[in-house]
Amino acid sequence: MITVALTKGRLFKDFIEYMEENGLNDYIGALTGETRSLYTVVDDVKFIFAKGPDVPTYVESGVADLGIVGSDIIAEDEFNILNVSQLPFGDCHFSVAALPGQEAFGTIATKYTNVAFEHFKNRKMDVSLVHLNGSVELAPLLGLSDAIVDIVQTGGTLRDNGLIEYEKIMDIHARLIANKRTFYTKEDGIYAFLKEIGVV
Amino acid sequence: MKNELIMNRLALAQDYTRLLDDEGYQLIDMNMVEPFRIDDKRHHSSTIIFEKNEQLFSIRSDWTRSLLNYNDNYYLSHRFFGYFGPVVRNYKTFYQAGVELYGPTETDVLGSIDMHLSFIRETYGREFSSIVVNDDKLLDLYIEKYGLPEDIRKLVHEKNLSELQKRLGRTHPLYKLMTAKVSDQITLVNREFGETDIMKFLNHLDEYLRKYGMKFILDLSFRSPQSYYNGFYFQVFLDHDYPLLSGGEYNSSAFGIAVNLSNGGLL
Repeated sequence: MITVALTKGRLFKDFIEYMEENGLNDYIGALTGETRSLYTVVDDVKFIFAKGPDVPTYVESGVADLGIVGSDIIAEDEFNILNVSQLPFGDCHFSVAALPGQEAFGTIATKYTNVAFEHFKNRKMDVSLVHLNGSVELAPLLGLSDAIVDIVQTGGTLRDNGLIEYEKIMDIHARLIANKRTFYTKEDGIYAFLKEIGVV
Repeated sequence: MKNELIMNRLALAQDYTRLLDDEGYQLIDMNMVEPFRIDDKRHHSSTIIFEKNEQLFSIRSDWTRSLLNYNDNYYLSHRFFGYFGPVVRNYKTFYQAGVELYGPTETDVLGSIDMHLSFIRETYGREFSSIVVNDDKLLDLYIEKYGLPEDIRKLVHEKNLSELQKRLGRTHPLYKLMTAKVSDQITLVNREFGETDIMKFLNHLDEYLRKYGMKFILDLSFRSPQSYYNGFYFQVFLDHDYPLLSGGEYNSSAFGIAVNLSNGGLL
């Protein structure tokens, strides 16, 4: 039995669509059933549902053998995991966004302070970072910051709040990650799952 | 903590140190408070540092580094050492037991691994499920043979298969190797580098350990969390997700093995 950590957000819907396209119907039935349970078992695979940022923590500890997570999460924090493969869904990107006509970016509001710090350091720009847990679009509207660094998928939220993208920082994709020990101790189950979802 | 776990750990430590004494290892016990060295902190960022009388000290976080520093300072006449005792990492105490061999021959290394395995099998009646091995120098051979850029190293270490495919293509031997099941990798590496000293040693080890009936896995992504290991590195697993034994080469001429007394599945 292997354990796969999933997140029940945007990535989850994309993963279900991906499985539909690839005919993995056994998994779809179990994963989309009406239940509040935080895990489900299909044959030799146990799926657990966690918050996105917690998926790498479950994988790093070995509670989960594999995980499907946005690359934004592993770009922001360091985890001792195998960063096995990009998956063909969950595409979006990190951007710097602000109100039109913003001339200087002295203060940046973001949930992703490490990504933002690295970006502005590489650009040799001296900025102050303000950490927010969400709804970062509010910060430039209310004068808390000059700009934001955030995930942009369609750009709809930015447009709705009158913000525009100034600079794309990096692409984001879904990634399959693995525990560094159980990759060996549960090799057969892990390779079978990697084959099923088209990673190898 | 349960009484049984504490007593079992102490019993294991006693049996193990007696074995080391019988086998001619010099047993070492040292103060947990050590002079602070910046190199130790680089290798173990979790090391606790404190100041006393305007001097910096650290609390032992790794027996291998402690013994290496001790040996550097006092030029010990022995070459084979054994230890048992606590280390502190961040705010937690762990118990380590193990051996360090300075300037060992291949026979010494094989003998020491064998000694540990037979001790565990005979004392505890436990069978091993797998041994995972690697030598960092194997990746050097691929990089040199195929003229690969240095940043490929990071992709192999994190087993980033999708990026390796983009960079090398599906038919590249290194990509094929990295996507093969880890227990099949040794066959592929032998096809390319079977005549090198590194693979001769790993094949010799594979044969030498056949009597234990465990799976022998070579994976180029497999590395020690301790950055000072710079050659052959291995971990042995019982039917358990954490390794019972870990060890490898460091400083080019030293070799160590540590027994996991916390979560290796033995206690």
